[in-house]
Amino acid sequence: MGSGIWSTDVYDAADRYRRSTGRSAFSYSDSGARTVHPALDPRDASRESRDSDEHPQSTPIAVLFDVTGSMRRVPRALQTKLPQLLGLLQRQGYASDPQIMFGAIGDATCDRVPLQVGQFESDNRMDDDLGRIVLEGGGGGQMSESYELALYFMARHTVTDNWDKRGRRGYLFIIGDELAYPQVKAREVAGLIGDDLGEDVPLRQVVDEVTRRWDTYYLLPAGSHYAGNATVLDFWRDLLGQNAVVLDDLDAVCETIALTIGLGEQAIDLDEGLRHLDHAGSAATGTVSKALARLGRGRRAEVSTLPAFRDTTGGVRRL
Amino acid sequence: MRHVAVVDLGYGDAGKGTIVDWLCATRRVHTVIRFNGGAQAAHNVVLRDGRHHTFAQFGAGTFHPGVGTHLSRHVVVDPLALAAEADHLATVGVPDALDRLTVDGDALLATPYHRAANRAREIARGADRHGSCGLGVGEAVAYGLAHPDDAPRVADCRSPALLRRRLTVLRDRLTAELGPLDAPPVEDCLPAFTGFAGRVAIVDASWLAGALRSGTCVFEGAQGVLLDEWHGFHPYTTWSTTTFANVESLLAEAGQPGGATRIGVLRIVTTRHGAGPLVTEDPALPLVDSHNPTNPWQGRFRFGHFDAVAHRYALAAAGGVDGLALTHLDLAGPDLRICRRYDTTDRLDPGPPGDLDRQTALTARLLRSRPLYDDPPRDWAEAVGTELDAPVVLTSRGPTADDKRTHGPLLAAPELARSA
Repeated sequence: MGSGIWSTDVYDAADRYRRSTGRSAFSYSDSGARTVHPALDPRDASRESRDSDEHPQSTPIAVLFDVTGSMRRVPRALQTKLPQLLGLLQRQGYASDPQIMFGAIGDATCDRVPLQVGQFESDNRMDDDLGRIVLEGGGGGQMSESYELALYFMARHTVTDNWDKRGRRGYLFIIGDELAYPQVKAREVAGLIGDDLGEDVPLRQVVDEVTRRWDTYYLLPAGSHYAGNATVLDFWRDLLGQNAVVLDDLDAVCETIALTIGLGEQAIDLDEGLRHLDHAGSAATGTVSKALARLGRGRRAEVSTLPAFRDTTGGVRRL
Repeated sequence: MRHVAVVDLGYGDAGKGTIVDWLCATRRVHTVIRFNGGAQAAHNVVLRDGRHHTFAQFGAGTFHPGVGTHLSRHVVVDPLALAAEADHLATVGVPDALDRLTVDGDALLATPYHRAANRAREIARGADRHGSCGLGVGEAVAYGLAHPDDAPRVADCRSPALLRRRLTVLRDRLTAELGPLDAPPVEDCLPAFTGFAGRVAIVDASWLAGALRSGTCVFEGAQGVLLDEWHGFHPYTTWSTTTFANVESLLAEAGQPGGATRIGVLRIVTTRHGAGPLVTEDPALPLVDSHNPTNPWQGRFRFGHFDAVAHRYALAAAGGVDGLALTHLDLAGPDLRICRRYDTTDRLDPGPPGDLDRQTALTARLLRSRPLYDDPPRDWAEAVGTELDAPVVLTSRGPTADDKRTHGPLLAAPELARSA
């Protein structure tokens, strides 16, 4: 019994069926595409997260993942999991008006599609961008990918009302298993994004820039080639401190991201978040608590030392 | 392989959705089959992680990967509401609901014209409303009975020219009867209906026989037996057969007559959404239902003490069950009593289907009847089983599958049953 809670607007419905195409989520890539989809092309592009009447307090969240060969099955697993992120955030209320952008990272030294960036969306249209991502499967084999280009794009080609109006940082998650190159190369930026830099920019400078406006996390998933490789983890811990997180269980990626945001927004503390997860019957509590134990204690704007590792440079300088 | 059929022995809202979800959580279910009603169903399912969906046309087992939904020819299909519902399912972790859906091409369509006519009539009735949902399901059934050869059906969505003709005739007939309708032009309706046909598997009657051979299916009823078109309390009824009759005919057509275990669902609080008899109604009951807010078409959600007289009648009208599922046991308390007889009678007998004068007289009698109450039973499952002379095989004290408990082997998960 009931009263029909679902919209019966003919124009809406026509639009929904148009957008709903029963196909593999990586259909663009699976159909043989090997060039960046126009919707995801970083060239001369900027990505905006704006407030609206419907979403007055937008919280921008960007999730960019490595799609090169070393990641093996991880990109496809992420693709089946990530569409649940928006619903999870909305249900838990960890962040106001979440707007999510998906993107993908390759290797500018040898891949055809080193950087793909979707739009910030407040509804499941972001899933369309997921479907347009080309899975490179290449990579260079030298344990490095062009993460620095993604960080550069996020630092200089994003605009958020969350920052401009409220002085609040958004959330940036990089999911990968390798090192970044030490410099953002002016030549690659000119070719891919179109900026004329004149000279290369050191990685650390780009990290400083991006972390000014984005709470930046690096997630190293199990099941990728270099998972558990101390070199990779140390490299990112040196750059991001406690925000470099190991993810034991890929199935828990949405929970980990959601809980990280909940902690960052101070909507919950770690124990409470884990209780939510536990109550949710999530098998992810162990994974997530392990991943976020440090974050739960060290709030934003604090620096905590890392008991399990050598003391690093002290994480990210916070403004 | 036994299938399971789930029917509500009250006025709807007893918790069929949570029972169907639990069935799909505890055994391998091939498809959930809808066999009556339409998009006005509102079966709420809540998962342990807090995810919630109000199932209207998708089967309440849809949260479980791979479980299909089949809308049989007895369902009035609303492709517009279906699209919105599928989009919501995508936000709660079910991106492929439309991929798991099959719809019988013979099923009637609910259209914006039926809806507009439904509302026009309900507004004209003024205070004497029937509690209709305003979705045009009854209108679509009535029109289908009056004009079986040119009522718009699901299969027509594959032929835009035919659909255009049928929608135009429908609009013109309803406009002639009721005056101008508040609905979009036919040309604007077409893209949604053809988009539906392009996206969803439209099948013929043989599909269901195959599904019933392939695995365990669950028949999910809509509304409740006390609202049944022939056995409900006329005129406060629905244009739909809410008993097991459609289940039995679908099974017989598929060559598996009697192939389903029949489960009747009851809540220990008898409730009603909309106008009509509710003998045990008690506004003093300290209850609210978050899933059933007041709406302009049906008004307030009404609560009453357990009405064993009405539920015994429903059980007889439905032709008996193999077991009862009793829900909302968490609401038991000193305030909630049981009504075993009215001041006029302790027994209502079902009549032959189709005798609406008899049903109207029954309604009048109910509206004059006063409940006689006994104290709250210590053991609700035992008391209800005794009153209805049927075993309570499942009890529920909360919204999730974890809140369910089986009693006896009838609904035990198959692997448990085998080891027992």
